[in-house]
Amino acid sequence: MRTLWRLTVANVKSLLRDRAALFWAVMFPIMFVLLFGAIFSGSGETKITVGFVNEENNPATAKLQEAFENSGLLVLEVGTLEDEKQAMKDGQVSAVIVIPKGLLEASGDNPASIQLYIDPTASQVNQIVERVASEIANQYNLTLAGAPVVLTVSNLTLESEALTAAGYLVPSILAMALMQLGVFACIPLVQQREKGILKRLGATPLSRWQLVVSHVFERLLVAIIDAVLIIGIGVALFGVKILGSILVVAFLVLLGAAAFLALGYALAAFLRTEEQASGVVQLVQIPMMFLSGIFFQFEFLPGFLQSIGRLLPLTYLADAMRQEMVHGTMVAPMAMDVAILVGWLVVCLGITARFFRWT
Amino acid sequence: MSQTSEPVISVSDLRKSYGDVQAVDGISFSVGRGEVFGMLGPNGAGKTTTIEILEGLRKPDSGQVRVLGMDVLRNADAIKERIGVQLQTVALYPRLTVHELIDLFGSIYRRHLSTGELIDKVDLDERAGARSMDLSGGQQQRLSIALSLVNDPELVFLDEPTTGLDPQARRSIWDLVKDLQSSGKSVMLTTHYMEEAAELCDRVAIMDHGHILEIGTVNELIRKRFKERAVFFDTHPSLSPAQLSKLGGVTHAAQEDGQTVLYSKDVPATIGALLAMADRLKVEPRNLGVRQATLEDVFLDLTGRALRD
Repeated sequence: MRTLWRLTVANVKSLLRDRAALFWAVMFPIMFVLLFGAIFSGSGETKITVGFVNEENNPATAKLQEAFENSGLLVLEVGTLEDEKQAMKDGQVSAVIVIPKGLLEASGDNPASIQLYIDPTASQVNQIVERVASEIANQYNLTLAGAPVVLTVSNLTLESEALTAAGYLVPSILAMALMQLGVFACIPLVQQREKGILKRLGATPLSRWQLVVSHVFERLLVAIIDAVLIIGIGVALFGVKILGSILVVAFLVLLGAAAFLALGYALAAFLRTEEQASGVVQLVQIPMMFLSGIFFQFEFLPGFLQSIGRLLPLTYLADAMRQEMVHGTMVAPMAMDVAILVGWLVVCLGITARFFRWT
Repeated sequence: MSQTSEPVISVSDLRKSYGDVQAVDGISFSVGRGEVFGMLGPNGAGKTTTIEILEGLRKPDSGQVRVLGMDVLRNADAIKERIGVQLQTVALYPRLTVHELIDLFGSIYRRHLSTGELIDKVDLDERAGARSMDLSGGQQQRLSIALSLVNDPELVFLDEPTTGLDPQARRSIWDLVKDLQSSGKSVMLTTHYMEEAAELCDRVAIMDHGHILEIGTVNELIRKRFKERAVFFDTHPSLSPAQLSKLGGVTHAAQEDGQTVLYSKDVPATIGALLAMADRLKVEPRNLGVRQATLEDVFLDLTGRALRD
């Protein structure tokens, strides 16, 4: 135990004294939280898939539906209210538009309202859906000029807490930080092998499991520090409210760090030099950073990039983090996110055990 | 040569190949307790492979290898507790200090010397707080030796401890090895410096292409290969090679670079005859001296090429 502790301390000291490594492990994600949290704005021009529920099926509402379809910004999934709400919970649609029964029978005292189910954490999507709905409602009012029917848009949220864009970003960037922490662990490992440190330690009575465990301890320690800092900044500076359980978040932090550490070690099994490792690590981490829905809603990616994103483990870690921390829309159900991460962990450990060489 | 007790290393018919390359091809030797044993040979001779098998870092293909009376395959961990290892490449955590590294290595062993004592022993007191990456080559090598001594080992392996060091740094490493020897530790070292082997080692094995060509004390090896010694003096016109080659003990005489060299099997007889002859001719042989063949000559003789080629 004493040896394990000393070795872990040695690894932590090495990391703290290596400015480049420290930057990637801690400063980089914090910089992103601050930067994106502060300047996040604007919207995309991508089509958004929304659920469409027409409870008053007549020629007039069919025209309304047509108007939504022709907006150029939305793709409609038509179904019943229950189905579409479920689809939204499953992440298949980003919002649900409801034409309620009796819409056109409404009177001046009782203005008719198109109802929207939106996800408060997805502010970009909401802006677009609301804008489209308001415009259509206005046009409809104009074309029905003189009629007693007034259409307005009312939002029905699926969540009770109103959240900012930072609510989306903080859990996503935490996931990204854990990914980088894990994948970058490849570099010191390859370095220690290349320099012969692993070999030198192999000539002592130290066992290999002690060596591996000390590496893992060091990285998990940094993972916890990252999580505290990132969530802390989100809560303190950007008013993010953590809705889920801290224990579940902690579990996800450790699972995510472990899965990506395993990926980093699996990479180390195939890389011989520090230069190779630095290059390959970037090659692995940069696409993940941009294709896993970290900086913008997964939904906004073009279809083929989404398909790639769905292959990346970071997509699921970020998704699980958002679901638990801010009840964001899902890319996949929580159980599936966790299962996929566990799967990556097991496969990468298997690859590492099979192919890793100490010298 | 103190081989009265059980040898600290005994190797018989050791073989190791990497693919098609037979790195070690059936070598046998033993090292006695308290002995400094050198393995001498050019790069690629198989020295490092041999020493790494002894250290438990590589597995032999075949052959018997016992270290401190234990089998290297079955008792690797017990052996590692009691040996000290210095590898050819200086392998350290670059960002830890001298003090931290010695502490760290100490914590790995059940029994270890105090960090201050070791730092003092290798004369790194002034650099104790420096990161290992900031040390000079000689200082790094001394730290590396301190780390190999951290568990107060009975047997120390030094793999090319002075390669790449300047003469002064090399001297300070030699002093450390001599200290080890006088404190009764057994040492096995590899080197490709003849001078180093001659200076430090009780016995030397000359290795080339995976074979041990010759084994013995430095003097034994030289005597075995070179029965003659060279008597030399500044060339004088009155002392001609033709006459000189008839002197007692001389096998042949040569002149080169203003020096006359007499190769002799009986140096005292040759010198006596030379001085008598000079006395008769009323001349004085200047800068008279006797030179021995060196390990360098032995290696050249054994392999047909110079060591540093």
